[in-house]
Amino acid sequence: MGDRQQRAAELYRQWGPAVYRRCLKLLRDPEAARDATQEVFVKLVRDLEKLEDREAVLPWIYRVATNHCLNLRRNAHRRGEDHATADLELSSPEASPASTYPDRALAQSLLSRFDATTQTVAVGVLVDGMEHEEVAAALGVSRRTVARKLERFLEKARLYVRFES
Amino acid sequence: MTGARCPSDLALEGYLVDRERSPVAAHVSACAGCSAQIARMEAEGEHFRQYVFPATVEKVEAAATPRPWWRARAWMVPVPAVLLSALALVVLLRPQPPDRPADDYLGTKGGDAGALALTVFLGDAAGARALGDGERVPPTAQLRFTVRPGRPCRLWVVSADASGEVSRIFPTDGDGGARFDQGGALPGGAVLDGKAGPERFFALCAPGELELAAVRRAVSAAVGSGERGVRSVRVIPGLPDGTSQGSVLIEKG
Repeated sequence: MGDRQQRAAELYRQWGPAVYRRCLKLLRDPEAARDATQEVFVKLVRDLEKLEDREAVLPWIYRVATNHCLNLRRNAHRRGEDHATADLELSSPEASPASTYPDRALAQSLLSRFDATTQTVAVGVLVDGMEHEEVAAALGVSRRTVARKLERFLEKARLYVRFES
Repeated sequence: MTGARCPSDLALEGYLVDRERSPVAAHVSACAGCSAQIARMEAEGEHFRQYVFPATVEKVEAAATPRPWWRARAWMVPVPAVLLSALALVVLLRPQPPDRPADDYLGTKGGDAGALALTVFLGDAAGARALGDGERVPPTAQLRFTVRPGRPCRLWVVSADASGEVSRIFPTDGDGGARFDQGGALPGGAVLDGKAGPERFFALCAPGELELAAVRRAVSAAVGSGERGVRSVRVIPGLPDGTSQGSVLIEKG
């Protein structure tokens, strides 16, 4: 086995659990999470050097895994596959004081209608209960961008609900 | 709860990486909810190591390998039919390898190598049970393996399916084969890929180091692609003298 393959296997053993947990949380299905974990890591190992940067790797793999799994959910939603769009587990209200429960419930039902970055922001704040600073650091954007995207997301979501009703 | 806000999943992942330096360590140790969450995360990590990793690592390894120039589309050029005919003739006239052993040959090669027994277990909620050769299993079943070699060796367990793909099962990393002195259950296991059809597991116990590439070549050459080869080929020819073998066929679906 080549050196790159060996390094990739070692890194997969080390960081795969974090990817798997993330995929399991977002996809809510062990089989789907297993496949998604492999797919995410296939993307990650294309940049082995970045994957070996222990200090910076976790937010990166978290972001790639989140984007990938949200894409899977969005595609499954478009195909009408209900099993692949199981409800996300919302963060507890005390864990996410910045938003109210109706906002978070709304977010869940409308998530798949938004672009990938907005989805990642919404999931980070509303589903994972992350602080805006934490989401910003994980995504490599400013805190202001996170706040703006979240605000637009909630505005559009409320408008959508009003229109639908 | 400690009264403070519970850390996010990402922060807890950071805690699992380095508990001592984690800024949320104090909170986690004092918060029953977070401790339970950490326990769940560890259990999921263990599931990954036992079942997901062995079943998926091969594709990750393959993705880490730069694509050889001769497989890149940019290098594909039309080959004149005459040249193709000449190549076909060369292949046809090439000396053929010696006859491979009969399909029901099992056990040792090269004289005194000890016999080897491979057993595949189906793991489900009811516990584990040994599978018979050719037994049908769910296409996403989780499998475990025991191997009993006749003597210390370097062990490989690989599988071949009808697509012609040879999958590495054990050891999950490194090359040369795992040192295997005593028989017993192999760590980890495999999760089947969900595709219906036959899959054959081979345990290959070599007297010395045996490269994975050589194992793949030998298994691919013997089994080829298609269901017939998977079902009929029980022994892999072309391995070093003294290599003992065992194989078990399962039918997914």
